[in-house]
Amino acid sequence: MMKKGFNSIVKVCVLVLFAMSLCLVYSCKESSQEPASPNSPGQQTTDNIKSDANDTEKTTVETSKEPTTDSAGWVAIDIKLPKPMFVGTPQDTKVPNLEKPLGRKRDPFYAPVGAKNVAFEKPVTSTDDLPIIGELEMLTDGDKEAADGSYVELGPFKQSVTIDLEAEYNIYAILFWHYHKQAIVYYDVVVQVASDPDFITNVTTVFNNDIDNSAGLGVGKDMHYSETAEGKLIDAKGARARYVRLYSKGNTSNDLNHYIEVEVFGKPAI
Amino acid sequence: MNPVRHSEDKEIAISKEKSCQHPYMSNGMKWSKKCCLLLLAATIAAIALRLPLLGQRPMHGDEAVHAIKFGDLLEKSFYRYNPNEYHGPTLNYLTLIPAWLSSAGKLTEVSEFTLRIVPVFFGVCLVLLLLLLADGLGRTVAVCATVLTAISPAMVFYSRYYIQEMLLVCFTFGAITSGYRYTQSKNITWALLTGVFLGLAHATKETFIIAFDSMLLALVLTLLLKSRRDGSGGFIKTVRAVKPSHFSAVVAAAIIVSALFYSSFLTNPNGIWDSVRTYATYFDRARQNQLHEHPWHYYLKMLIYSRYGSGPVWSEALIVFLAVAGFIVAMTRKGLSGVNFHLLRFIAFYTLIMTVLYSVIRYKTPWCLLGFLHGMILLAGVGAVALIKLSPNVLARTFISLLLVASGVHLTWQAYSGSYKFYADTRNPYVYAHPTTDVFTIARRVEEIAQVDPNGREMIIHVICPGKDYWPLPWYLRSFPNVGYWTEVDNVKPPAVVIIASPAVQPALMKKLNEFSPPGKRNPYVALFDRYIELRPQIELRGYVLWDRFQRQIQSVQPQTTGEK
Repeated sequence: MMKKGFNSIVKVCVLVLFAMSLCLVYSCKESSQEPASPNSPGQQTTDNIKSDANDTEKTTVETSKEPTTDSAGWVAIDIKLPKPMFVGTPQDTKVPNLEKPLGRKRDPFYAPVGAKNVAFEKPVTSTDDLPIIGELEMLTDGDKEAADGSYVELGPFKQSVTIDLEAEYNIYAILFWHYHKQAIVYYDVVVQVASDPDFITNVTTVFNNDIDNSAGLGVGKDMHYSETAEGKLIDAKGARARYVRLYSKGNTSNDLNHYIEVEVFGKPAI
Repeated sequence: MNPVRHSEDKEIAISKEKSCQHPYMSNGMKWSKKCCLLLLAATIAAIALRLPLLGQRPMHGDEAVHAIKFGDLLEKSFYRYNPNEYHGPTLNYLTLIPAWLSSAGKLTEVSEFTLRIVPVFFGVCLVLLLLLLADGLGRTVAVCATVLTAISPAMVFYSRYYIQEMLLVCFTFGAITSGYRYTQSKNITWALLTGVFLGLAHATKETFIIAFDSMLLALVLTLLLKSRRDGSGGFIKTVRAVKPSHFSAVVAAAIIVSALFYSSFLTNPNGIWDSVRTYATYFDRARQNQLHEHPWHYYLKMLIYSRYGSGPVWSEALIVFLAVAGFIVAMTRKGLSGVNFHLLRFIAFYTLIMTVLYSVIRYKTPWCLLGFLHGMILLAGVGAVALIKLSPNVLARTFISLLLVASGVHLTWQAYSGSYKFYADTRNPYVYAHPTTDVFTIARRVEEIAQVDPNGREMIIHVICPGKDYWPLPWYLRSFPNVGYWTEVDNVKPPAVVIIASPAVQPALMKKLNEFSPPGKRNPYVALFDRYIELRPQIELRGYVLWDRFQRQIQSVQPQTTGEK
């Protein structure tokens, strides 16, 4: 029994020694092929290993080998080109029914003469009376920047904001920005206009991308879209209303809802 | 006599079929011709689904990062483990083998095939490793699990992905199979192999700790159940049955293998300590990273039912539901004979714990599901065989068998569609934060301009993307030595011949281009692409090229076009 155990230990030791000897052979080979000294003369590529906590990767700076000449006769010399910085897995934007960005500026929207932003500085109410960040008044204050201090953050899941235009208008367009600092997509965006604050009389849904009716406002046929600095412009087709309500139910980054600005272009109802 | 072994021998005797002997089946376990053919077919299917067109799918950002890092190892024999990102070193070191075999000495000589053949190899190994568990699971279960591993869409898709996941799953399963074989033979070679596999798994990815903890907990639960069945003291007795020298062999082999890799083969001893302190980073990321935060049911929903837009329905529900059946069989010990129920229970607990842990962790990326999906596949093999055996009559048995075959065909179709049709389509649930095929257009256009530029491939290229969001372009532009990558517009450097930039920097870039081109000497820039180009869905890239290069390129194409006419 003892002998068997001893034999096993001997076998382990021999194997360990064998493995170590193999590694030494490899490491010897490695040391002979050590990468060229970062700043060795004659070497035009320099490697600096950054000891930064988050980026221990290479932050190499490369110099172009020969002067390059462009058609105008300019000579580009000693151009230091930063090497790519390694990054982690980027964010996924897997959203069903997502429209392709235009890739250019939005076409102009035409409205009758005299149509203007009738939502400017009008009162705003919300299902979340106490926003986590910002004030509801920010929605109609004319500030469309995505900077901190310019947006309102409402609670998670389905939330809505309602703007009282304080009079009946023929509404031609509704332009709004959720949060455009990142290319995120808000879910279940529904925009309705109505003549009463409870949205019972003369309710018109002018936009709905809730494809599975998860917000309970009916199945929408509009497409999801990515937030951009241009905002989302909706053709309201001259719908007559006093109240404008916008719903959303979280976004691709989290369950929260955000608004930067809402503009309603209309004319007093005839 | 061992009752399990006895019943298996009996089964073999009854079958009276011509059989073939597998070298690992030390107990004289024989394989029927049918089983051998099925295993061979499964292996061929595994290779056929994984190997073709490895360069077809655009490189994912993560793949490109690993590839460029591998370039340093290949060209300069340089590798340093980074405890904050990019996982363990086995992927990089093991890629040296196909690179050497293909005589590639530079990154420009390395192709997608050279890189992706590594996970393909381990994906096929994962299929073959099941042979080592055949006497514990039973031949029919082993064959079913082999087939399911070969055709699982997720297994196929990520076997063609140059990331660590498939290696991790293979090494972890290698440790389980070797450990099991050790319990059957008490041979120190298996103990050593268990250690080697554990070391390799540890040196592959930090999430190994989840698999390792699940293994330990599953082992404890299995032994506790065993001791309850066998009588008091069973647990202690089983633990004491392991020879201290053999246990030391496991630990020593694991530590040596892991330390060798993390220390870059003894050239960077700090790497060993880094492999320990990395867990602080990863625990923190699991709690705080919002970029990949998903609900607890993310993986299960993905496996059971996914449909995006007008895309097809994706489902591996067959595996999930059969795994549930297999779990019940393992716990109740009913429905199967001639199997090692301790092994089944270990796999059942291991899979359950892994599934729960991965679901609880908020940080989720789809490839992380492979670990517990493989456990589910093993249990699904058990469930499938039990369902057939428990069928009351021939008709029901035939019906269930046909249903399983039809579901298997559907899985194979999904595996094919996912890897060869929807390989970069967001409607495929396994396509995650993936570059679009537009990256090929970007690479082609840069190549075309280089052909007419006086400096050729030495021409200066600027890539400007905030947040370093330019991956995998460094991979596709690897043959151009003078590419600079910026996160914002650098107003000091003269503008390059070709500029690829995010729309976010366009105003600053236009200002710079105007300032650098004085009136009268202006060589304006024009669009490099004739259409909207995306790096990833919704992430647009714009290209600019000097007017004269653009003209030359157009002229270089025109004579050929005329000639063709």
